Amino acid sequence: MPGNIRSVSFAWMVLVYLLFCSRRASVGAAPICANAQAGCHVLSLANLFDRVIQHSARTHSISNDLHSEFEQYFLPSKNHIGRVSRNCHTSSILTPNGKDNAQRMAREELTEVILKLLVAWRDPLWHFHQNMAHHHDFNNFSSNKALEMSDMVHELRKGVEKVAEKMQVLGIISNTVSSLASPEASLPSDSAEWRLMKDYNLLSCFRRDSNKVQNYLKILKCRIVPEHGC
Amino acid sequence: MPWCVDWLADTPLEPHITDCISRDQATFQCWWSPGNFHNLSSPGALRLFYIKKDSPASEWKECPEYVHSNQECFFDNAHTSIWIPYCMQLRSQNNITYYNEEDCFTVENIVRPDPPVSLNWTLLNISPSGLNYDVMVNWEAPPSADVGAGWMRIEYEIQYKAINTTKWEALEMQPQTQQTIFGLHIGKEYEVHIRCRMQAFTKFGEFSDSIFIQVTEYTFPLTLVLVFGIVGILLLGMLIVISQQHRLMMILLPPVPAPKIKGIDPELLKKGKLDELNLILSGGGMGGLPTYATNFYQDEPCVEFIEVAVEDADTGEKEDNQGSDTQKLLDLSQPVSQHMNIGFSNVVSFPDDDSGRASCYDPDLPDQDTLLLMATLLPGQPEVGKRAMAAERGARPLVHTQTEGPQTWVNTDFYAQVSNVMPTGGVVLSPGQQLRIQESTSGAEEETQKKEKEHTGGEDSEEDKEKELQFQLLVVDCEGGRYAAEGNAWQIGGPHSAPMPGEGYQTIFPQPAETTPAATAEGSQSPYILPDSPQSQFFARVADYTVVQEVDSQHSLLLNPPPRQSPPPCLPQHPLKALPAMPVGYITPDLLGNLSP
Repeated sequence: MPGNIRSVSFAWMVLVYLLFCSRRASVGAAPICANAQAGCHVLSLANLFDRVIQHSARTHSISNDLHSEFEQYFLPSKNHIGRVSRNCHTSSILTPNGKDNAQRMAREELTEVILKLLVAWRDPLWHFHQNMAHHHDFNNFSSNKALEMSDMVHELRKGVEKVAEKMQVLGIISNTVSSLASPEASLPSDSAEWRLMKDYNLLSCFRRDSNKVQNYLKILKCRIVPEHGC
Repeated sequence: MPWCVDWLADTPLEPHITDCISRDQATFQCWWSPGNFHNLSSPGALRLFYIKKDSPASEWKECPEYVHSNQECFFDNAHTSIWIPYCMQLRSQNNITYYNEEDCFTVENIVRPDPPVSLNWTLLNISPSGLNYDVMVNWEAPPSADVGAGWMRIEYEIQYKAINTTKWEALEMQPQTQQTIFGLHIGKEYEVHIRCRMQAFTKFGEFSDSIFIQVTEYTFPLTLVLVFGIVGILLLGMLIVISQQHRLMMILLPPVPAPKIKGIDPELLKKGKLDELNLILSGGGMGGLPTYATNFYQDEPCVEFIEVAVEDADTGEKEDNQGSDTQKLLDLSQPVSQHMNIGFSNVVSFPDDDSGRASCYDPDLPDQDTLLLMATLLPGQPEVGKRAMAAERGARPLVHTQTEGPQTWVNTDFYAQVSNVMPTGGVVLSPGQQLRIQESTSGAEEETQKKEKEHTGGEDSEEDKEKELQFQLLVVDCEGGRYAAEGNAWQIGGPHSAPMPGEGYQTIFPQPAETTPAATAEGSQSPYILPDSPQSQFFARVADYTVVQEVDSQHSLLLNPPPRQSPPPCLPQHPLKALPAMPVGYITPDLLGNLSP
């Protein structure tokens, strides 16, 4: 599947980047790779941002498809937005709710918010996929999409972490972004809540959050490296 | 909105929210309608309240900005939050609330971008068949959508149709601001419009204003082609005429032939530049007239000219030439003159130059005609010869005046002046320098071919001169055409050849003058060919003529008494007396004194 291949290639690229280009001597525009070999492909920050944004767009698109499918199959006539939104497990994460708020927010904060969101959704999506595989209500196509979505969120989180690292190297942001090694710590105390959510709620919530991630990443990119695509 | 109207048709239509739209994902508007409750249509009768469910303790708030004329409520940036559910309700004056749970939304889901702007098209190409073409359509993102900040990511959809059809063709959605439409038909007019929406969302914005595309057939500009064709043909004709100008002139106005001498610039012949001419011909300039001198008439066809052959300074060679010339003269089978040629330019070279052709087109002339031709040519030359000789040799004016014409400037043997024509048909020529005893041939025809080789005035050996005069007497015997010739060689300061013993007369040949080292060679000595009489015995005895046998050291002539023989009374004019111009062989009065009897 193209999504799998893309995620795998993205991971491989990131791996190569980590393996060969991890030497960082000083803050500034120093070349990442120590030796200009064929395997060491230096990626600019803009390039990294583009890849990450594309990834997030793809994630959001899949979540949108799944949500409409779900709505079509199970809840055809009603608009449940009002009810569903209260039960998202990521509601406790403070996110900027508008363009102005997002633009006013500091880069480090914004990057942290993105990472928090992505971390928060890794496990729920994995379990969602498991549920879908076991439920025969969904066809295989939807089940594959759910799996792809789960993987993409996982890769997206890694990519954003790399972007954050690069930005820290280039001095664009300070080193206050925590590595978020332990994702469980970021979840709210009633982390078991998400297990109780209905699948539809989960999809709605994730659809919203993936849109947030996409928007935040785009705002970050156009603020830091506004060359092309803004 | 469909979800708001249709299934409520049977119940009275209560006030409701008709639509909420955001155009830039930063602000939004909501419109309501009083429904069937017309008493609530007045402004202010219905009030709109909203709630932002961002926290459990949120409350209903009233519309921040009313636009009563539109029954619209406008939410600005401060009151707009994305990803947070909004719910709308209407309240009347008496606190009746009209609320529908379906009127809840999040702003990103109600975004309908404005239509793109600046839509235009350019022609990409036309198919080889000339029936179809492709256009490139381009536009700009709606200004209200903040694409630059990355806040909205928009994708576009182009739709087009032919004017007289109803079904629109939609192209694939894509986020670029340009797109190609393939396969439009020539001659048809097409209508194109565009709309956009947020990526991964479902609600499209309004369509833009339509633009119209039409490409007509390419009509072949026939008149233009005709005009250019005619102009081109005219130019070509002019080019041809200009390039072939000379040929046309030749055809229309053929050149007038004029006499020309091969190898000599016609300019010299024109205005009497005789000095240069003599210089050239005598070889002063370039050592003789080269046989292959610049051919001035190379281009002109069939130019008749006189070929002048220049002999070398080598007298020995000249001797041979003379001998051969003499042989040729006397030999009937031989051509008449070796040195007098009428050559042709631009004609294929004939095997022998002495063909005697008078012109380009006539066949070979008989020798008689050639002779006459040459006779006519000769008188034209004495003028040249006289003047040249006078300039060159003051010491021998008499001698050289005899040798007229080409003597001074041509070292030929065969030029002679016909002084008299005998009744028998023989021609009396001016005597040359030398008498050849062996040149005796018989034949009446030979009389007509008399030639006298003139004394070439030493043009080759002018430099080392001691003048040498040679005289010869020509006696024509009218008795039977016999004649005798005496050659008197009188050398200045030089020995002479001994007379031949045993003969009626003796001739002293000037040849020893050439061979003797002390003698200043005269240079050219033209053999003297005598006309032969039928019974010509070369050794006829001459009366009353004294042959100078030798010259002693005191420069006195020693004569041998010749056998006396009275010349016939009908002796024709003594050549010496007859000739107004003194021939070569005579004795000047000055020399008479030196003659010893």
